[in-house]
Formats: sequence, structure tokens, C-alpha cells
Amino acid sequence: MKRKYGFLCGMLLGILFVSAGLTAWYVSRTDGGGNEQELTVVTSFYPMYIAAMNVIGDTEGVRLSNLSEPQTGCLHDFQLTPEDMKLLSGADIFIINGGGLESFMEDIAADYPKLSVIEAGKDLAILPGEGGENAHVWMSVSAYRKQVAAIAEMLSELDPAHEAQYARNADNYQKKLAALEKRQEALAKQIKGTPVVLLHDAFVYLADDYGLAVSAEMNLDEERQISAGEAAEMLAQIRADGVQQVLAEESYGKDLGEMLETEAGVQVLYLDVLNRGVYDADSYLDGMQRNITLLEEAFGEKQGE
Amino acid sequence: MIDWTSWMDYGFMRTAFLAVLIITPLFGLLGTMIVNKKMAYFSDALGHSALTGIAVGIVFGAAEPSTAMVVFAVVFAVLLNRIGETNTASTDTVISVFSSCSVAIGLAILSKGGNFNRYAGLLVGDILSITNREIAYLAAVFLVTVVFWLLGFNALNASCIHRTLARSKRIPVRLMDYLFAVLVALIVMLSIKWVGILIINALLILPAASSRNLADNMREYHLFSVIFSVFSGIVGLLVSYYTNTATGPMIVIIASVIYFSTFFYQMRSGE
Repeated sequence: MKRKYGFLCGMLLGILFVSAGLTAWYVSRTDGGGNEQELTVVTSFYPMYIAAMNVIGDTEGVRLSNLSEPQTGCLHDFQLTPEDMKLLSGADIFIINGGGLESFMEDIAADYPKLSVIEAGKDLAILPGEGGENAHVWMSVSAYRKQVAAIAEMLSELDPAHEAQYARNADNYQKKLAALEKRQEALAKQIKGTPVVLLHDAFVYLADDYGLAVSAEMNLDEERQISAGEAAEMLAQIRADGVQQVLAEESYGKDLGEMLETEAGVQVLYLDVLNRGVYDADSYLDGMQRNITLLEEAFGEKQGE
Repeated sequence: MIDWTSWMDYGFMRTAFLAVLIITPLFGLLGTMIVNKKMAYFSDALGHSALTGIAVGIVFGAAEPSTAMVVFAVVFAVLLNRIGETNTASTDTVISVFSSCSVAIGLAILSKGGNFNRYAGLLVGDILSITNREIAYLAAVFLVTVVFWLLGFNALNASCIHRTLARSKRIPVRLMDYLFAVLVALIVMLSIKWVGILIINALLILPAASSRNLADNMREYHLFSVIFSVFSGIVGLLVSYYTNTATGPMIVIIASVIYFSTFFYQMRSGE
């Protein structure tokens, strides 16, 4: 009888200490150690992080972090983890894309009324999309440039001490983006009006940039299953418009893309939607360059024939 | 160094802590009877039906999904119980059919237009979703359960041990069954949003099952079950907070460790 209660207490205490020990070990390994003196800027997700990274650069006393991103898919249905709430509670400025992408913004605005929010896409035209708005504005280089400009401007307003530095960094980045835009414009002249099929919402902005004629569009993500009827409809549309190129996103559009390739003989281009990747300042530039190269190759061949 | 009190600074953590304090004793308490009555499958089916509850709520445009969920859960529980009473096919088959059918309906409705991922959070749960209003609901259910237990436990237990004998003692066996099923349904529905559909059943079963490994009598059985349930709830919540993981699974992991410890204890002492 006594032994049983002894075991019970021992077991619970044991579990308590082991879990506390493991937790402490885990936390000590992952803790970055924040500095109260710093200005903490948090971004809502990847493209905003890269944009902010370029604007902030190596400005002293400013710490930039990103919310823990979902490992798959877009941000639409992302739920904040306790870690994110902690991050935001220590943040001074929160940079978001806007356009309904950050569905958790309402809660945050209510919970952290003192947090300054920069909505980078506020002044941009958000296109309508499936189930509301299509917020993938960063896929258009010109729109992304405006986002970068908005971030730089708002940051300078909120943190005037570093205004010059922000302006210089933003300027540098804008120059690189302008070169990118130029390359895009050259290609746009060639391919304007070409009919394409889009398998992801994000490419609507891209097609807009190039003036491509969108013949059919479908937003494939991790939970979207395409029905046989929809596939048939799309094939019919492809034949009717003489579509030769399909723009798809690798992880979700692959199955349908391959099917279209064999069924309709179209060329499927797997482009980067730039919503996640390495945390490198140039990753947006690199990703867009790759996208443009892919497009140049695909459409260039056609022009050469 | 780790700050063991930092979680208290956050409103959502205080709310979650309160919810855990209210709900885990109930899980422990009801779990004892679920394990005794061999209803693990039944409560599992109830958890899965939450998906359909939400779907039904959306179809009928109910003010908020949780009202529809509760109504649906009660209806589903009564229906399940009714089916379980008839001895045509074996009960587990019927429950399984019910459960899969309800999950399928829920998935079909929620995946319409390819938007299922909006509800994917329900599968693993989200402690940030607990609102003050839900705390009030939980507190009400807590009171109801405690009163029900104080008044009806003997009748429930008797009908569980020997139905015919209980009936001969004028115990309303069927009524007790229904009341119990509805109560379980209510608690499952109210906590599903933060525990998650995939693991809610574990929270009902594990503490009671662990307790059964140790307890010698009814009083110990209840006491241990409630202790295990509250303990895993609090430890799981705090560990999940510091390690940035989902809370429901963490609670279940702690509860599983307790189960295995008691299981081996019983095996060794049984020899």
C-alpha cells in the first residue's frame, strides 16, 4: 500500500524533473538572448523579411526577426504559436504584407495595441482571388519595389535615428531591383499577349507584369484537390486558346502539370513563388532572376522558331 | 537561463492555464467511467464528429461554429448511444461506421472549394483559440459534471457493473447512459478547439487507464486519474510553451509516459 504511493510520488516528481530539465536544456540551446536596448522589428513572413533585411542591412541596434513560418504552403491559414506571441510582445515594429494575408492581424492589433504596424502593400492594388483577395503582390517586381519603398519610408518615420541608413540601403536595393525590372520589361515586349495557364494565384501578378493573357487559372495549394471535371475543363480551355505554356509552382502544381504536359503537350514552367527559402538578402533577386531565365528560355525558343 | 514564470505575463497563457485547470479534472473523472464501460471507441467517434459539427454549423450559418458543434455533438451522442443499445451488429462496428461516415461528411463539406486547410488547425488544436467565453462554458460544464457525479455516480456505476441487477433496483439505466454520453460529448466539443481532434481521446483514456494500473478501489481510481490528468495538463502546457510546440500533443506525451510507468509498475508488482 505504502509502496504504491511512494511510486506515485516518485513517478510524478521524476517526470516533472526530467521534463523541466529537458525543457531548460532545449531553451538554453535555442535562446538567442534579446537585448532590451534594441529596436526589434518583426516581419510576418518570408518576402517581407527579405525586403526588411535589405532596408535594415547592418544598421546597429536594430534586430530583425521573422515569425515562425508554416513549413508548407502559404500564410493564409497560419496560426500563431506561443513563440510568435512572445516575439511580438517584445517587438516594436511589425511589418506585414497586408491584403488579407495575415489573417491573425485582428487578434494582434487587439492584443498589442502599442505595436507599430507597417503594412507594406497598403497602397498597392490587390487583385481579387479565390476566397477573397489575392495577396501575392510581391510576385510583381514593380509592386515589390513599392513595398520596399513603403517599408523604408515607414521605418524612417518610426525610427528617425537611422533614417539615412535606411534610405541608403533601400536605394541600393532599389537599384538592383530596377535592373531586374528592366530585364523583365525586355522580355515583356517579346511575350506580351501570349496565352498562359496559371496553376497558382501568385502568378496572376507575374502575368500582369508581362502582359500575358491568362487563359485559365487555378490556385493549387496543399489542401486543394482538383476534380476530374475541373481538369477536363482546363484541358478544353488550353486547346481552345492554343495555350503552350503553363506556369506552376513546383510543390503543388507538379501532378497537374505533368498531366497537362502529357495530355495537351504544353510546356510547364515551375517558377518560384518566393514565399519561403533561405534567409539571404539577395534571395528575392536570385529567385526572380531564375524565374525570368526560365521564362526567357521557354518563350525565347518559341520566338526563334 | 530559463525563466520559469515568464508564461504568466501573457494573457493567452493565463487563459490556457485556467482552461487546463478546469478541463483536465473532468477528463480524469469521466475517463474512469469511459474505461470501465469500455467506451474508448465511443469517445473517439465523438471527437471525430466535431469536424462534422463545424461543417454543419457553417452550412446552417450558425452564429459561431461552437454552438453548432455542441448541438450536433449532443444529437450525435444520443444517436450513437441509441445504436449501441441495439444488439444487431457488434457495437464497435456500428460506432466505426458512424464515426467514418460523420468524418466523411465533415471533410466533404469543409473541403468544398479546396479550402480545408482553413480548418486544419482543429486537427492538432490551438491554445490561443481559448476565449473568456469558452472558459465560462467550461466552468458551467465543470459544475454540471461535478453535480452529476455526486448525485449519479452510484447509479452509473451500478448500471455499468450489472445492468439487469441495476434495473431490478429501479435504477434508470438507460437514462444514466444517455446523460453520461451527452456529458462526454459536451466536454469533448468544448475542448476540441485547443486539444485537437486527433488526440482528444487520448486525454480521456490515458489518465484513467494509468490509474487503473495502480488503484485498488473506486476512490483511488478516481483520485489517481484526476491527479494524472491535471498533472499532465499543467506540465504539458508549460513544456509546450517553452519548447514552442502544440499543447495538446505535449499533454498526451506526458500522459503516455505516466501510463507506461504505471503499466510497468503493475507488471513488476503483479509477479
